[in-house]
Amino acid sequence: MEKYLNSPIKELISRFPKLADILNEYNIGCVPCSVGSCLLKDVVGIHNLPEDEEQELMGRIAGVVYPDKDIRIPKIARKNRVSKELKYSPPIKRLVDEHILIKKFLALVPWIIENMDLKSDKWRRLILDGADFIRGYADKYHHAKEEDILFKYFDENLDIIKTMLADHKTGRDHVKALIEAVEKQDPKRLAEHLNGYKELLAEHIKKEDEILYPWIDRGLSVTQVGGLFAKFNDADEKQGKGVQERYEKFVMKAERIAKGKNQKF
Amino acid sequence: MDGCPGSRMQDFRKKPEGAHDESGKRASQLAQWPIQLHLISPMAPYYQKADVLLSADCVAYAAGDFHKDYLKGKSIAIGCPKLDEGQDEYVEKIKSLIDDAKINTLTVMTMQVPCCAGLVATAEEALRSAKRKIPIKSIVLTLQGDVLSEEWVS
Ligand SMILES: [Fe+2]
Ligand SMILES: [Fe+2]
Repeated sequence: MEKYLNSPIKELISRFPKLADILNEYNIGCVPCSVGSCLLKDVVGIHNLPEDEEQELMGRIAGVVYPDKDIRIPKIARKNRVSKELKYSPPIKRLVDEHILIKKFLALVPWIIENMDLKSDKWRRLILDGADFIRGYADKYHHAKEEDILFKYFDENLDIIKTMLADHKTGRDHVKALIEAVEKQDPKRLAEHLNGYKELLAEHIKKEDEILYPWIDRGLSVTQVGGLFAKFNDADEKQGKGVQERYEKFVMKAERIAKGKNQKF
Repeated sequence: MDGCPGSRMQDFRKKPEGAHDESGKRASQLAQWPIQLHLISPMAPYYQKADVLLSADCVAYAAGDFHKDYLKGKSIAIGCPKLDEGQDEYVEKIKSLIDDAKINTLTVMTMQVPCCAGLVATAEEALRSAKRKIPIKSIVLTLQGDVLSEEWVS
């Protein structure tokens, strides 16, 4: 069993496809993960399941991996086993709040794909403003806080951090491609990358809100929470006033157009 | 359940069995004086950029390991939100800790009794009136000194 505990999760799922259903049942979202290099023991540890549920999960995994053997399951060592439910700390809460605006934009993507007309100046403007939102807000304003500040508190070789960084990079590739598609007036390619970005970020935000951030919060000391909070304030100030408000305005405007009967710009 | 829960008599004397080994001495984790909120000066060096513990008076008597678990590594101010006079000055003092001493965080420790929550309200009022923003955590203890709740309030 030790051997499998130290195996990357994606490898295990492809070898034992039944594991996918079991992990899904426990809301462990490794199946759609694009990287999947986290080790089984870290995957289980990071989700902080109640002890009895974790035992049950490990028993079922052992049942799939060794169907004919009665296997003893080693306990997963965990640094921060805290039973008390702790709400997000203030700096982490700020990132979660930024996700809300990003998700509002993602919710508009199907409408854009369905209605866009690349011959129209207004539509091209709207899509390019959307690309500016992705770059200026989701990436520069939000991901920069994660990459330059938050993730620096951790070993950059941690699989979960590598996975997040890889997602950010894939997002950048999508936005680059979708801007090119606007320039070349290629609606098919544009739809492909808009949708690719939406799917990627929706899953990415879910991973952060539900797994990464709570795990980070469980490990941060009070002093570190204060330090993070101050650094986030400095980072936002450096970007100049009004970034949040400006992009909120853009999303609200796009929502208004999408909801309007004639979809008038 | 009658009368004010903050002053209602309760008896939770421990039975003698199961006493822990209390041999050996423990060092105090207090690193400053004074500590009473009316007496402290936010300009004191030990408050600058510190993680500050704002504790209701009774907390230190309820928590068995107050020094080791809560005071260690922090600067402190204490007060009683129910009986002390001049609570407005408390707001000003805490505001000055936030703006002038530029403290890193504030942890407010109170007892489970309802009147004690006033200390968290005082801290929040100070934060609202301050120019800087900092994280504030609230830890509430039961009368037996266990943690009833621990959460970031702002
Ligand atoms: Fe991210
Ligand atoms: Fe994020």
